[in-house]
Amino acid sequence: MPPTLRSLDFFRDSYEIRVAQLKEERAAGRRIVGTFCLYVPDEIILAAGADRVMLCGGSADTIPVAEQSLPRNICPLVKSSFGAVIDACCGGTLACPHVGLVDAVVAEATCDGKKKMYEILPSSIPTCVFDLPQKPESPEARAYFTSELRRFGRFMEDLTGRDLTDDALRREIRSANETRRVLHRLFDFRMQDPPPIRGSDVLRVMQKQFFLSPDQFREGITRLCEELEQVTPAPRKGPRILISGCPMASGNAKIAEILEGRGAAIVAEESCTGTRSFWDPVDEGGDPWKALAERYLGITCACMTPNEGRIARIVDLAGKYRVDGVVYYTLQFCHAYNIERLRVQQALKGEKIPLLAIESDYGDSDREQIGIRVDAFLEMIS
Amino acid sequence: VITAGVDAGAATTKVVLLRDTGIAGFQVRSSGYHFLSVADTIFRDLLAASDIRREEVSSVCATGYGRGSIAFAGSTVSEITAHARGVHFLFPEMRGIIDVGGQDSKIIVLEGGRVTDFLMNDRCAAGTGKFLEYTAKSLEVPVELLGDLALSSRNPAGITSMCTVFAESEVISLRARGVPREDIAAGLIASIAGRIVSMARRMGLSERVAFVGGVAKNRGMRDALERGLGFPLTVPPEPQITGALGAAMTARGSGEKKSSSGD
Repeated sequence: MPPTLRSLDFFRDSYEIRVAQLKEERAAGRRIVGTFCLYVPDEIILAAGADRVMLCGGSADTIPVAEQSLPRNICPLVKSSFGAVIDACCGGTLACPHVGLVDAVVAEATCDGKKKMYEILPSSIPTCVFDLPQKPESPEARAYFTSELRRFGRFMEDLTGRDLTDDALRREIRSANETRRVLHRLFDFRMQDPPPIRGSDVLRVMQKQFFLSPDQFREGITRLCEELEQVTPAPRKGPRILISGCPMASGNAKIAEILEGRGAAIVAEESCTGTRSFWDPVDEGGDPWKALAERYLGITCACMTPNEGRIARIVDLAGKYRVDGVVYYTLQFCHAYNIERLRVQQALKGEKIPLLAIESDYGDSDREQIGIRVDAFLEMIS
Repeated sequence: VITAGVDAGAATTKVVLLRDTGIAGFQVRSSGYHFLSVADTIFRDLLAASDIRREEVSSVCATGYGRGSIAFAGSTVSEITAHARGVHFLFPEMRGIIDVGGQDSKIIVLEGGRVTDFLMNDRCAAGTGKFLEYTAKSLEVPVELLGDLALSSRNPAGITSMCTVFAESEVISLRARGVPREDIAAGLIASIAGRIVSMARRMGLSERVAFVGGVAKNRGMRDALERGLGFPLTVPPEPQITGALGAAMTARGSGEKKSSSGD
């Protein structure tokens, strides 16, 4: 069992600190932008002088409110997020208070659930939706995405009333790259055997990546890394597991908890709340807009096609982190990740790496059923 | 060495006593409300019937949905591994298992007795013994006789719903239209068999497959599966006890492991 890490306390207790900070910033006239996706470059928001906070819902609490307007059989992340937003707008008590603090939402055309949700966000929240070419390999796609990012930049200028200069953008790119380097350092620790930190702890930290300010987050990760230099983990018992698939938004740590509860050692997550958010840096030379477009279009979300990069990344991570098996996690009704499972499974089979597929929502009713599969999988790969 | 395996399943609890020479005894009973008290009663009865004293049993291993509540078991094992070990003990040449139980159905792929892959359906009653039990009721037929009844059908009715509740309403409307009982029974069996066949195909099962679980006692079901799969299935004489048997085999190993690791 990995030791207790004191530097994790900051992440656990940071919610109130951050909400107070956002309130202060807002009172001082700074604009706050809500985001829902990794495809929104942080750098553009920050370079325009605004702050940002991620609004993806990971809690089951706000789903009943959302289901008053949305179909039941859609992605729980979309329902949870939408429920939090409309509840905050109606002054409901269930929603997280930070949802009510945003001046605008910046959204991207990724999956159908999110696109359609943006259309029905309350009109009181100005929303900028930019397009995302989903066949990203061609130069034309990159040029188009660059123009979409520039349009998003102009939206930010209008929102903040400030010029968004290339210099400011380069500064934010350097800062974000620094955060990415620090996260690589954190994830490098997990290559050790035994890993010195629990997967569920890393997940809860990663869930704060776009919630905390970049400085707060980076400092917290740096302190965590420094502590990890000092610890000597106890011998590992269970197999090493890579989780791959859908994001686990803040409030949703169910699969990690079940896996660890049954004895697995989670050593990496190929997900939006894992490697996908930081693995590749932005090129710091040349035109910053083109560099952002290049890097962000390279994110391997299953909304992209043919998405060979994701398959290769999973196989690569499985090797680097010396995993005994992959747990392929999908949110219910997430067609893109659910369908892409087959290609991931085939690629891993070729590498003789076992895969367990788990599809779930934010409810607790299937914990035992998932646990039975996990037990069998861990026995199979031990 | 004598060990015991307890399979605390959703519908039935099975206990197997295993000696070096083979199975010393087994019992199958309804699980009732309290997994532990039922399992405990069966275990005592079985010991008495087999003329074995409790102290002679070196270790007990539990499997099944209720395995966590079997306090007298020293270790637990998942149903998947348990069935694999049990089937391998009985038929070492098997390459796959189809297990249709009260609450779930499973497909297990084996290589030399080791599990290499598996697939479970446990999100709803479709494709499980519960489906047959529930729909047999709407036909006013005891579930044990559903399979034989289905075998006498010459024109199986089409049942399109996988959902147990909707299938029941289909049965009622077929009854209202005067469709013979055996044709509806055959339609129900075909519907569940179709689902299991597609799971088995997805896992690439082809011949040397054992069919276990309570539903394997149903002749009509076996027949429908064999027709759908296009190869014969091996059904053990007691298809319900392979999980408990596998648990008893696991208990053989865990007795030693427990003393060495100290937990």
